[in-house]
Formats: sequence, structure tokens, C-alpha cells
Amino acid sequence: MIIDESKCVGCEACIDYCPVGAISIQGEWAAIDRDACVECGVCYREIDCPGEAFVWEELSWPRVIRRVFSDPTLIKKDTKVTGRGTEEMKTNDVTGRFKAGQVGLGIELGRPSVGASFRDVEKMSSVLAKAGVKLEEKNPLTKLINQNTGEIDRDILDERVLSAILEFVAPLDGLRGILKTILSAADELETVFSLDLIYLNEEATKSKAMEILAEVGISPSLAGKTNVGLGRPLAEEGAP
Amino acid sequence: MTHTLHRLGSLETLEKDFVVMAMTAKGFNEEGSIPKLREYFEIILKHKPVNYGEVMAGSRSIASVSQIMDSFNISSVPHGVFTTPKQVEDVLKDLKKADLGLSIVVSGVLSEVEKCCRNAGLRPHTLEHSLGIWGKKEKLPQTKILEITNMCGHSMISPRLAEREIGEVSSKKKKPEEAVEVLTRCCRCSIFNPERAVVLVKEMVGEKSSAE
Repeated sequence: MIIDESKCVGCEACIDYCPVGAISIQGEWAAIDRDACVECGVCYREIDCPGEAFVWEELSWPRVIRRVFSDPTLIKKDTKVTGRGTEEMKTNDVTGRFKAGQVGLGIELGRPSVGASFRDVEKMSSVLAKAGVKLEEKNPLTKLINQNTGEIDRDILDERVLSAILEFVAPLDGLRGILKTILSAADELETVFSLDLIYLNEEATKSKAMEILAEVGISPSLAGKTNVGLGRPLAEEGAP
Repeated sequence: MTHTLHRLGSLETLEKDFVVMAMTAKGFNEEGSIPKLREYFEIILKHKPVNYGEVMAGSRSIASVSQIMDSFNISSVPHGVFTTPKQVEDVLKDLKKADLGLSIVVSGVLSEVEKCCRNAGLRPHTLEHSLGIWGKKEKLPQTKILEITNMCGHSMISPRLAEREIGEVSSKKKKPEEAVEVLTRCCRCSIFNPERAVVLVKEMVGEKSSAE
């Protein structure tokens, strides 16, 4: 995103809208700190700028990656999904992605409201790779990561995004170890992450998962997401 | 895509905060789904959500119902935000009757949503918990601000903007509802709960006033 100085009236109305604080007044006009800007588009879409001074510039590699992971209005071409991750549990009644005896885990680096660089993402993905985790192929982030080492394309390490999600399925038996691995990496990061757990609503899986969370010292939230099972065809009824 | 998860705050306010969404499973049932998404959305509107919309057109703050529905495509995830379990239960009853085949997800206090499902004759299929925030938590905005801004899971609502608007309320330049409307507009997916935000803003202003 850029600000066309010839159109900016210096009213300062835009400054507080930026989720990462990248807009400031430099001299008489508003300016964007390009290192901090994550190309999320909030300034372009939501500010009633009197001079219509915000301009989407054509982004090239590697900067374009900022918009891919920060602007929720983009539909990913290969997955046809908006947002930053995948359909995950939202369509599990149809896809059967998460099965009994398995859990899904999501590590959303940068959320909430801090943002992350891909250096942060790589710290976590490297730890996961060492633990033998295989990341979800449909997640756009996975395509940027060497699954064997957790390394990320050198070109994008310093790019910043509002958040990026590492997603994977793990056997329930391995949950304890995976959680310890994830939490041990937390202190090495320069950002925050929001962690989530998905499981099929089946008593044995649920009770074992809750038992492991208690052992590791994690209190799951009271609020969460429920897939109510109205999707068709049901995975159990013949969907691949 | 866990945008409706990780909502923060007291049980008292979370119990008045439910998001219902519909989604197609790509590669399984997206063909012919647009009329079904519209029928789903009509059911949502029938039960008087406090916010509604879809990311491409935006929320009820910036788009009309017809603009929102005209924007639907196979990737659309239309949302409705509700404040009572009874509304959610009634929505689920209507959706079960309509048998659209879309995957339906409800975000909210899990025990309350389970009751809604049971009363609607449904058994929850898959569950998701937030396991909290980890890492450099000293970089986070103050907790009360985060309770408001994190209702937009894509972090489109700037904490600075929330602080500014709360300041406007505090100095009597705006009503809480007017300040919250500024924030509501920023959440393109329309999952921000303006009624809950008004309660939170009033709490914050009240705290400030009593401290002074």
C-alpha cells in the first residue's frame, strides 16, 4: 500500500486504523512504514479518506506474500478458501479430515494483533519438523516450508504478516509430546501465537484429549467452535 | 481459518456471543451451492442477528442484504452473530428442516451450543477449543482492548482505533453505540459482536470514571 502524497490532505484520520501502526504523519502528510505494513488493506477499504490517497500498488515477490496472509478478502486460487488457513473442522462432517483417535492442531503465529515475521514461523516449523510433524498440505503456508527441515524460503524470512497458521493432524497418543514441543518453542519467538485443538465429538477421544491437556497444564477455553453435523454427504456415508 | 475462535473475556459476556456460519466442502459439495447459501442466509436474517455479512461484500454496516447475497460464490462463508442461545437453537431447527447439506459451525460457549444442538435434534460432529495465547505476551494490547478487537479474528480492528473510540466515549464526544459502529465496519467477515462490544466499552468507561 502506498499513500499518494499529492492527494493526502494531512488530516490524520487514517493513523489509528492501521492494525500494525504503520501509518504516521511525516512532515505534513501521512506516510506508511513499508517494513511494518502487512498489506492487509484495512486503510484502503475502511478509511473514509477525503483525498482518496491510499493506492494499492502491484506487489511482486516476495512482498506479495504479505497480502496473501494478511488480507482476508483474497480467495486462495488452489484451495478456493478465503482467510489464512483451510476449511479445517468447519467441513469435517463432509471431509472426514479429523477422525476418531486423532486431533487437529493449529498454531496461529502473530495472532492476536501483534503480527509475525516468517523468521518466527520458521522457528516453530523447524521444531515441528524435528518432532516428525507433517503439516496440512492444503494450507498455503505449508507450500512455503520444507517439510523435512521446517526451513522457509530465504526470500521471505523478513516479510511480515498479520498472522500465519501452521496446521496439522496428529495421533491422539502423540498429543502430549507435541504440546510440550510447541510450548517449549514459545519463549524463542519474537511474537505471540494462538493455539487450538480440534477433535471428533466422540467420548473416548474427547476424554483422553482433556486428560492430556490437564497433564500439560493447559486449560481449554469454555468458548469454542462446534460443527453441528449438517453437512452432506456425511464423511461416514461415503465421501472419500 | 480459525477467525471465530479465540474470543476472550468473562463467561458472563461470552454467554451472549454466538457466531453461526455456513461453508461448502471444496471438492465435495460446492457445485450448486450458491442458492443454498442464500437460503441459509435468509434463515439467519429471520432470527434477527446483531451482525451479519460475508467477507467479500462486508458486514451490515457497509452493505445491504441484497449486496451481501449477490456477492455469494462457492467460497463464501456467510455469518450471523447472535446474543441468545434461543436464537441459535431456532436457527439450527430451521437449518435442520431446510436440509441444505452445507456444513454449519456455531462458535460460542461449548456447553451452551451443545444444549442448542440437543434441543434442535442435532449431535455435534466436531469440536474445537482455543488453548490460549503463548509467546511474547508483553507485546499484546491491554486485555480489555483485546476482548473487543479479537472479536475480529483476522485482526482487522486496530487496538489503537479501539482506544481512540473508547476515549471519544469517555470524553462524551460519542455514544458507545457510535464508537462501536466504527469498529464494526472494519470486520469484513461480520463476526464482530457489536452488542457485546457496547457492554465492554461501557465497562471500560465506567472503570475509568470510577478510577478518576
